[in-house]
Amino acid sequence: MKNTLFILLLLIIVTTSCERDDICIDATTPNLLINFFDNEDPTETNPVTNLSVRVLEIENDSLPLLTNDTIVSVPLKVTELNTRYILTLNSLGDSSTDATIKLNRDTINVTYTPQEVFVGRACGFKSVFNNVTYELTDDSNNWIKSLEVVSDTINDETVAHVKIFH
Amino acid sequence: MLKYFISISLFLYSLNFFSQEKDSIVYKDSYGLRVGIDLYNPISSFIDNSRKGLELVGDYRISKKFYIATELGFTEKTTDLDLLNFTTKGQYIKAGLDYNTYENWLNMENIIYFGFRYGFSTFNHTLNSAIINSDPFLPEQEITAPREFDNLNAHWAELIVGIKAEILHNVYLGFSFSGKKMITDKEPEGFKNLFAPGFNRVFLNDSGFGLNYTISYLIPIYKKNK
Repeated sequence: MKNTLFILLLLIIVTTSCERDDICIDATTPNLLINFFDNEDPTETNPVTNLSVRVLEIENDSLPLLTNDTIVSVPLKVTELNTRYILTLNSLGDSSTDATIKLNRDTINVTYTPQEVFVGRACGFKSVFNNVTYELTDDSNNWIKSLEVVSDTINDETVAHVKIFH
Repeated sequence: MLKYFISISLFLYSLNFFSQEKDSIVYKDSYGLRVGIDLYNPISSFIDNSRKGLELVGDYRISKKFYIATELGFTEKTTDLDLLNFTTKGQYIKAGLDYNTYENWLNMENIIYFGFRYGFSTFNHTLNSAIINSDPFLPEQEITAPREFDNLNAHWAELIVGIKAEILHNVYLGFSFSGKKMITDKEPEGFKNLFAPGFNRVFLNDSGFGLNYTISYLIPIYKKNK
Protein backbone atom coordinates (compact mmCIF):
# COMPACT_ATOMS: atom_id res chain seq x y z
CA MET A 1 0.00 0.00 0.00
CA LYS A 2 2.72 2.44 1.02
CA ASN A 3 4.91 1.31 -1.87
CA THR A 4 2.14 1.73 -4.38
CA LEU A 5 1.45 5.26 -3.22
CA PHE A 6 5.14 6.03 -3.44
CA ILE A 7 5.33 4.74 -7.02
CA LEU A 8 2.25 6.79 -7.93
CA LEU A 9 3.79 9.93 -6.49
CA LEU A 10 7.10 9.27 -8.21
CA LEU A 11 5.42 8.77 -11.58
CA ILE A 12 3.51 12.03 -11.21
CA ILE A 13 6.75 13.88 -10.50
CA VAL A 14 8.41 12.23 -13.50
CA THR A 15 5.61 13.23 -15.89
CA THR A 16 5.46 16.82 -14.80
CA SER A 17 9.22 17.30 -14.80
CA CYS A 18 9.96 15.93 -18.27
CA GLU A 19 7.45 18.21 -19.91
CA ARG A 20 9.80 20.30 -22.03
CA ASP A 21 12.31 18.56 -24.24
CA ASP A 22 11.47 20.97 -27.00
CA ILE A 23 14.94 22.16 -27.83
CA CYS A 24 15.85 21.80 -31.47
CA ILE A 25 19.12 19.89 -31.75
CA ASP A 26 18.67 18.37 -35.22
CA ALA A 27 19.99 19.92 -38.41
CA THR A 28 17.62 22.48 -39.90
CA THR A 29 17.79 24.40 -43.18
CA PRO A 30 21.37 23.97 -44.43
CA ASN A 31 23.59 26.89 -45.38
CA LEU A 32 25.50 27.09 -48.60
CA LEU A 33 29.14 26.18 -48.03
CA ILE A 34 31.63 27.86 -50.36
CA ASN A 35 35.18 26.60 -50.48
CA PHE A 36 37.92 28.83 -51.89
CA PHE A 37 40.71 27.42 -54.03
CA ASP A 38 43.78 28.79 -55.70
CA ASN A 39 43.22 29.45 -59.42
CA GLU A 40 46.87 28.65 -60.22
CA ASP A 41 46.88 25.43 -58.24
CA PRO A 42 43.27 24.12 -58.17
CA THR A 43 44.04 21.45 -55.57
CA GLU A 44 45.12 23.98 -52.95
CA THR A 45 42.63 25.82 -50.81
CA ASN A 46 43.30 29.51 -50.71
CA PRO A 47 41.81 31.96 -48.22
CA VAL A 48 40.35 35.22 -49.44
CA THR A 49 41.92 38.26 -47.82
CA ASN A 50 39.34 40.09 -45.72
CA LEU A 51 36.38 38.53 -47.47
CA SER A 52 32.96 39.90 -46.65
CA VAL A 53 29.73 38.28 -47.81
CA ARG A 54 26.39 40.04 -48.05
CA VAL A 55 23.00 38.79 -49.15
CA LEU A 56 21.66 41.20 -51.73
CA GLU A 57 18.26 42.84 -51.18
CA ILE A 58 18.36 42.30 -47.47
CA GLU A 59 17.87 45.65 -45.77
CA ASN A 60 19.95 45.39 -42.67
CA ASP A 61 23.38 44.07 -43.39
CA SER A 62 22.36 40.60 -42.36
CA LEU A 63 25.73 38.94 -42.60
CA PRO A 64 28.36 40.96 -40.82
CA LEU A 65 30.69 38.28 -42.02
CA LEU A 66 34.35 39.09 -42.37
CA THR A 67 36.67 36.19 -42.74
CA ASN A 68 40.06 35.06 -43.91
CA ASP A 69 39.01 31.45 -43.91
CA THR A 70 39.06 29.05 -46.84
CA ILE A 71 35.43 28.10 -46.34
CA VAL A 72 32.36 30.23 -45.68
CA SER A 73 28.83 29.30 -44.75
CA VAL A 74 26.02 31.54 -46.01
CA PRO A 75 22.23 31.17 -45.72
CA LEU A 76 19.89 30.78 -48.68
CA LYS A 77 16.52 32.49 -48.89
CA VAL A 78 13.77 29.92 -48.38
CA THR A 79 11.16 32.41 -49.58
CA GLU A 80 12.64 32.79 -53.06
CA LEU A 81 13.97 30.67 -55.91
CA ASN A 82 17.31 32.42 -55.87
CA THR A 83 19.69 34.27 -53.57
CA ARG A 84 22.28 36.80 -54.72
CA TYR A 85 25.47 37.31 -52.77
CA ILE A 86 28.03 40.06 -52.94
CA LEU A 87 31.46 38.69 -52.12
CA THR A 88 33.96 41.42 -51.45
CA LEU A 89 37.68 40.86 -51.64
CA ASN A 90 39.78 43.18 -49.49
CA SER A 91 36.63 44.50 -47.90
CA LEU A 92 38.72 46.65 -45.57
CA GLY A 93 40.44 48.19 -48.63
CA ASP A 94 38.80 51.60 -48.36
CA SER A 95 39.99 52.15 -44.84
CA SER A 96 43.41 50.77 -45.57
CA THR A 97 46.30 53.19 -45.88
CA ASP A 98 47.90 51.09 -48.56
CA ALA A 99 46.48 52.37 -51.86
CA THR A 100 47.45 49.23 -53.75
CA ILE A 101 44.91 47.15 -51.83
CA LYS A 102 41.78 47.53 -53.84
CA LEU A 103 38.35 46.52 -52.70
CA ASN A 104 36.68 44.27 -55.28
CA ARG A 105 33.03 43.19 -55.30
CA ASP A 106 31.75 40.19 -57.21
CA THR A 107 28.16 39.04 -57.40
CA ILE A 108 27.01 35.43 -57.50
CA ASN A 109 23.45 34.42 -58.22
CA VAL A 110 22.39 31.05 -56.83
CA THR A 111 19.15 29.57 -58.15
CA TYR A 112 17.41 26.49 -56.75
CA THR A 113 14.15 24.72 -56.01
CA PRO A 114 13.42 24.70 -52.27
CA GLN A 115 11.80 21.60 -50.83
CA GLU A 116 10.21 21.31 -47.39
CA VAL A 117 11.26 18.45 -45.13
CA PHE A 118 9.71 17.74 -41.74
CA VAL A 119 12.30 17.37 -38.98
CA GLY A 120 10.43 17.02 -35.72
CA ARG A 121 8.49 18.56 -32.87
CA ALA A 122 11.11 21.09 -31.80
CA CYS A 123 12.71 21.86 -35.16
CA GLY A 124 9.57 21.90 -37.28
CA PHE A 125 10.07 22.02 -41.03
CA LYS A 126 13.35 22.71 -42.75
CA SER A 127 14.09 23.39 -46.36
CA VAL A 128 16.55 21.65 -48.64
CA PHE A 129 17.55 22.94 -52.06
CA ASN A 130 17.49 20.99 -55.30
CA ASN A 131 18.71 21.80 -58.84
CA VAL A 132 21.17 24.35 -57.54
CA THR A 133 22.97 26.42 -60.18
CA TYR A 134 25.50 29.23 -59.79
CA GLU A 135 26.07 32.23 -61.96
CA LEU A 136 28.87 34.74 -61.62
CA THR A 137 28.04 38.25 -62.83
CA ASP A 138 30.74 39.43 -65.21
CA ASP A 139 31.99 42.89 -64.25
CA SER A 140 35.25 42.90 -66.32
CA ASN A 141 37.30 42.90 -63.14
CA ASN A 142 36.28 39.69 -61.39
CA TRP A 143 38.49 38.47 -58.61
CA ILE A 144 36.59 35.18 -58.84
CA LYS A 145 38.00 33.34 -61.84
CA SER A 146 35.74 30.32 -61.99
CA LEU A 147 33.21 28.18 -60.12
CA GLU A 148 32.90 24.45 -59.78
CA VAL A 149 29.71 22.84 -58.57
CA VAL A 150 30.36 19.98 -56.17
CA SER A 151 26.74 19.01 -55.65
CA ASP A 152 23.56 20.37 -57.20
CA THR A 153 21.66 19.48 -54.03
CA ILE A 154 22.10 21.29 -50.73
CA ASN A 155 20.64 19.08 -48.01
CA ASP A 156 23.32 19.09 -45.34
CA GLU A 157 26.47 20.88 -44.26
CA THR A 158 28.97 18.05 -44.32
CA VAL A 159 30.92 19.10 -47.43
CA ALA A 160 31.26 22.31 -49.44
CA HIS A 161 28.64 22.66 -52.17
CA VAL A 162 30.63 24.87 -54.52
CA LYS A 163 34.29 25.65 -55.16
CA ILE A 164 35.44 29.14 -56.05
CA PHE A 165 38.78 29.60 -57.76
CA HIS A 166 40.55 32.91 -57.41
CA MET B 1 -7.33 -6.83 32.80
CA LEU B 2 -6.50 -7.71 29.25
CA LYS B 3 -6.27 -11.32 30.19
CA TYR B 4 -9.83 -11.25 31.48
CA PHE B 5 -10.98 -9.38 28.46
CA ILE B 6 -9.67 -12.02 26.10
CA SER B 7 -11.11 -14.83 28.19
CA ILE B 8 -14.48 -13.16 28.31
CA SER B 9 -14.40 -12.49 24.63
CA LEU B 10 -13.55 -16.05 23.87
CA PHE B 11 -16.28 -17.20 26.16
CA LEU B 12 -18.82 -14.91 24.57
CA TYR B 13 -17.64 -15.87 21.16
CA SER B 14 -18.14 -19.56 21.90
CA LEU B 15 -21.59 -18.79 23.20
CA ASN B 16 -22.28 -16.89 20.06
CA PHE B 17 -20.93 -19.69 17.98
CA PHE B 18 -23.20 -22.26 19.53
CA SER B 19 -26.31 -20.25 19.90
CA GLN B 20 -26.47 -18.01 16.86
CA GLU B 21 -24.78 -19.92 14.14
CA LYS B 22 -27.07 -18.65 11.41
CA ASP B 23 -26.50 -14.99 12.17
CA SER B 24 -22.75 -14.89 11.69
CA ILE B 25 -21.76 -12.24 9.19
CA VAL B 26 -19.98 -13.32 6.04
CA TYR B 27 -18.55 -10.51 3.92
CA LYS B 28 -18.87 -11.06 0.21
CA ASP B 29 -17.19 -9.56 -2.81
CA SER B 30 -19.32 -8.00 -5.49
CA TYR B 31 -18.74 -9.21 -8.99
CA GLY B 32 -20.07 -7.24 -11.89
CA LEU B 33 -19.59 -4.76 -14.62
CA ARG B 34 -18.19 -1.35 -13.71
CA VAL B 35 -18.83 1.42 -16.23
CA GLY B 36 -17.66 4.97 -16.04
CA ILE B 37 -16.51 8.11 -17.68
CA ASP B 38 -13.16 9.85 -17.77
CA LEU B 39 -13.01 13.23 -16.07
CA TYR B 40 -9.59 14.30 -17.37
CA ASN B 41 -10.87 15.39 -20.78
CA PRO B 42 -13.65 17.66 -19.52
CA ILE B 43 -11.30 19.17 -16.91
CA SER B 44 -8.55 19.87 -19.44
CA SER B 45 -10.93 21.31 -22.04
CA PHE B 46 -12.26 23.57 -19.29
CA ILE B 47 -8.72 24.78 -18.56
CA ASP B 48 -7.24 25.41 -22.01
CA ASN B 49 -9.84 24.51 -24.63
CA SER B 50 -7.21 23.03 -26.97
CA ARG B 51 -8.34 19.53 -26.10
CA LYS B 52 -11.79 18.03 -26.50
CA GLY B 53 -12.72 14.45 -25.96
CA LEU B 54 -14.73 11.76 -24.31
CA GLU B 55 -13.62 8.49 -22.83
CA LEU B 56 -15.75 5.66 -21.51
CA VAL B 57 -14.19 3.12 -19.19
CA GLY B 58 -15.33 -0.31 -18.16
CA ASP B 59 -14.11 -3.33 -16.32
CA TYR B 60 -15.47 -6.75 -15.49
CA ARG B 61 -14.26 -8.79 -12.57
CA ILE B 62 -13.23 -12.27 -13.57
CA SER B 63 -11.59 -13.50 -10.37
CA LYS B 64 -10.68 -12.33 -6.89
CA LYS B 65 -7.75 -10.30 -8.20
CA PHE B 66 -8.25 -9.89 -11.93
CA TYR B 67 -10.44 -7.59 -13.99
CA ILE B 68 -10.83 -7.38 -17.74
CA ALA B 69 -10.67 -3.68 -18.52
CA THR B 70 -11.25 -1.46 -21.50
CA GLU B 71 -11.30 2.21 -22.42
CA LEU B 72 -12.69 3.75 -25.55
CA GLY B 73 -12.91 7.34 -26.59
CA PHE B 74 -12.28 10.08 -29.07
CA THR B 75 -10.00 13.10 -28.88
CA GLU B 76 -9.59 16.32 -30.78
CA LYS B 77 -6.42 18.10 -29.74
CA THR B 78 -4.66 21.15 -31.12
CA THR B 79 -0.93 21.19 -30.47
CA ASP B 80 0.62 24.63 -30.62
CA LEU B 81 4.39 24.75 -30.84
CA ASP B 82 6.86 27.49 -31.68
CA LEU B 83 7.10 26.53 -35.33
CA LEU B 84 3.99 24.39 -35.81
CA ASN B 85 0.30 24.29 -35.11
CA PHE B 86 -1.67 21.15 -35.87
CA THR B 87 -4.91 19.46 -34.86
CA THR B 88 -5.24 15.73 -34.30
CA LYS B 89 -8.64 14.07 -34.45
CA GLY B 90 -9.39 10.42 -33.89
CA GLN B 91 -10.71 7.57 -31.81
CA TYR B 92 -9.16 4.78 -29.82
CA ILE B 93 -9.76 1.59 -27.94
CA LYS B 94 -7.69 -0.04 -25.24
CA ALA B 95 -8.15 -3.48 -23.73
CA GLY B 96 -6.31 -5.45 -21.11
CA LEU B 97 -6.20 -6.67 -17.54
CA ASP B 98 -6.08 -5.05 -14.13
CA TYR B 99 -4.60 -6.83 -11.13
CA ASN B 100 -5.80 -5.70 -7.73
CA THR B 101 -3.05 -5.71 -5.12
CA TYR B 102 -5.14 -4.34 -2.28
CA GLU B 103 -6.45 -6.62 0.45
CA ASN B 104 -9.72 -5.11 1.59
CA TRP B 105 -11.04 -5.12 5.14
CA LEU B 106 -14.52 -6.25 5.93
CA ASN B 107 -16.91 -5.17 3.23
CA MET B 108 -14.68 -2.52 1.65
CA GLU B 109 -14.17 -2.84 -2.05
CA ASN B 110 -11.34 -0.51 -2.93
CA ILE B 111 -8.77 -1.27 -5.57
CA ILE B 112 -5.12 -0.46 -5.96
CA TYR B 113 -4.11 -2.03 -9.20
CA PHE B 114 -1.51 -2.59 -11.82
CA GLY B 115 -2.73 -2.99 -15.34
CA PHE B 116 -1.70 -3.76 -18.85
CA ARG B 117 -3.38 -2.48 -22.03
CA TYR B 118 -3.09 -2.92 -25.72
CA GLY B 119 -4.10 0.28 -27.46
CA PHE B 120 -5.16 1.04 -31.00
CA SER B 121 -6.23 4.30 -32.54
CA THR B 122 -7.13 5.71 -35.93
CA PHE B 123 -6.74 9.42 -36.54
CA ASN B 124 -5.80 12.26 -38.84
CA HIS B 125 -3.74 15.42 -38.48
CA THR B 126 -4.43 18.83 -39.93
CA LEU B 127 -1.36 21.02 -40.14
CA ASN B 128 -2.86 24.47 -39.55
CA SER B 129 0.28 26.52 -39.94
CA ALA B 130 4.05 26.27 -39.78
CA ILE B 131 7.17 28.34 -40.19
CA ILE B 132 10.15 26.88 -42.03
CA ASN B 133 13.07 26.72 -39.64
CA SER B 134 15.75 28.74 -41.42
CA ASP B 135 18.25 31.55 -40.96
CA PRO B 136 16.74 34.13 -38.60
CA PHE B 137 18.19 37.10 -40.51
CA LEU B 138 16.44 36.22 -43.76
CA PRO B 139 12.69 36.48 -44.40
CA GLU B 140 10.79 33.50 -43.02
CA GLN B 141 8.62 31.18 -45.07
CA GLU B 142 5.23 30.32 -43.63
CA ILE B 143 2.98 27.45 -44.51
CA THR B 144 -0.51 28.88 -44.19
CA ALA B 145 -2.67 26.58 -46.30
CA PRO B 146 -3.88 23.74 -44.03
CA ARG B 147 -2.61 20.31 -44.93
CA GLU B 148 -4.42 17.07 -44.21
CA PHE B 149 -2.75 13.82 -43.22
CA ASP B 150 -5.43 11.14 -43.22
CA ASN B 151 -5.84 7.42 -42.52
CA LEU B 152 -3.21 7.14 -39.83
CA ASN B 153 -3.12 4.60 -37.02
CA ALA B 154 -1.09 3.55 -34.02
CA HIS B 155 -0.65 0.42 -31.91
CA TRP B 156 0.87 0.62 -28.47
CA ALA B 157 1.25 -1.06 -25.07
CA GLU B 158 0.52 0.53 -21.71
CA LEU B 159 1.42 -0.19 -18.12
CA ILE B 160 -0.95 1.31 -15.59
CA VAL B 161 -0.93 1.93 -11.89
CA GLY B 162 -4.04 3.30 -10.27
CA ILE B 163 -6.58 3.36 -7.51
CA LYS B 164 -10.34 3.09 -7.40
CA ALA B 165 -12.04 4.10 -4.21
CA GLU B 166 -15.67 3.42 -3.39
CA ILE B 167 -16.99 6.83 -2.38
CA LEU B 168 -20.66 5.91 -2.32
CA HIS B 169 -22.29 2.53 -2.49
CA ASN B 170 -21.18 1.09 -5.88
CA VAL B 171 -19.80 4.47 -7.02
CA TYR B 172 -16.06 4.63 -7.57
CA LEU B 173 -13.66 7.48 -8.04
CA GLY B 174 -10.53 6.46 -9.87
CA PHE B 175 -7.14 7.86 -10.59
CA SER B 176 -4.51 6.21 -12.72
CA PHE B 177 -1.23 6.87 -14.37
CA SER B 178 -0.01 5.09 -17.45
CA GLY B 179 3.29 4.74 -19.24
CA LYS B 180 3.01 3.93 -22.92
CA LYS B 181 5.27 2.58 -25.61
CA MET B 182 4.47 2.71 -29.32
CA ILE B 183 4.67 -0.66 -31.03
CA THR B 184 3.96 0.44 -34.57
CA ASP B 185 2.31 3.42 -36.21
CA LYS B 186 1.49 4.55 -39.71
CA GLU B 187 3.43 7.77 -40.20
CA PRO B 188 2.14 10.49 -42.50
CA GLU B 189 4.22 11.43 -45.51
CA GLY B 190 5.97 14.73 -44.92
CA PHE B 191 4.95 14.90 -41.27
CA LYS B 192 5.18 12.86 -38.06
CA ASN B 193 2.79 11.48 -35.48
CA LEU B 194 3.61 13.86 -32.66
CA PHE B 195 0.30 13.14 -30.99
CA ALA B 196 -2.05 10.19 -31.15
CA PRO B 197 -5.52 9.91 -29.55
CA GLY B 198 -5.37 7.61 -26.52
CA PHE B 199 -1.59 7.78 -26.55
CA ASN B 200 -1.26 11.55 -26.10
CA ARG B 201 2.00 13.24 -26.89
CA VAL B 202 4.51 10.98 -28.60
CA PHE B 203 7.91 11.61 -27.07
CA LEU B 204 11.15 11.21 -29.02
CA ASN B 205 11.77 7.60 -27.97
CA ASP B 206 8.18 6.63 -28.95
CA SER B 207 7.01 6.68 -25.36
CA GLY B 208 4.09 8.48 -23.79
CA PHE B 209 2.29 9.15 -20.53
CA GLY B 210 -1.30 9.44 -19.51
CA LEU B 211 -3.36 10.52 -16.55
CA ASN B 212 -6.92 9.46 -15.93
CA TYR B 213 -9.53 10.55 -13.45
CA THR B 214 -12.64 8.48 -13.66
CA ILE B 215 -15.99 8.17 -11.99
CA SER B 216 -17.69 4.83 -12.40
CA TYR B 217 -20.62 2.79 -11.26
CA LEU B 218 -20.54 -0.90 -10.42
CA ILE B 219 -23.48 -2.87 -11.72
CA PRO B 220 -23.41 -5.85 -9.35
CA ILE B 221 -24.23 -9.11 -11.05
CA TYR B 222 -23.46 -11.64 -8.31
CA LYS B 223 -21.65 -11.95 -5.01
CA LYS B 224 -19.07 -14.45 -3.99
CA ASN B 225 -17.43 -15.29 -0.68
CA LYS B 226 -14.09 -13.70 -0.03
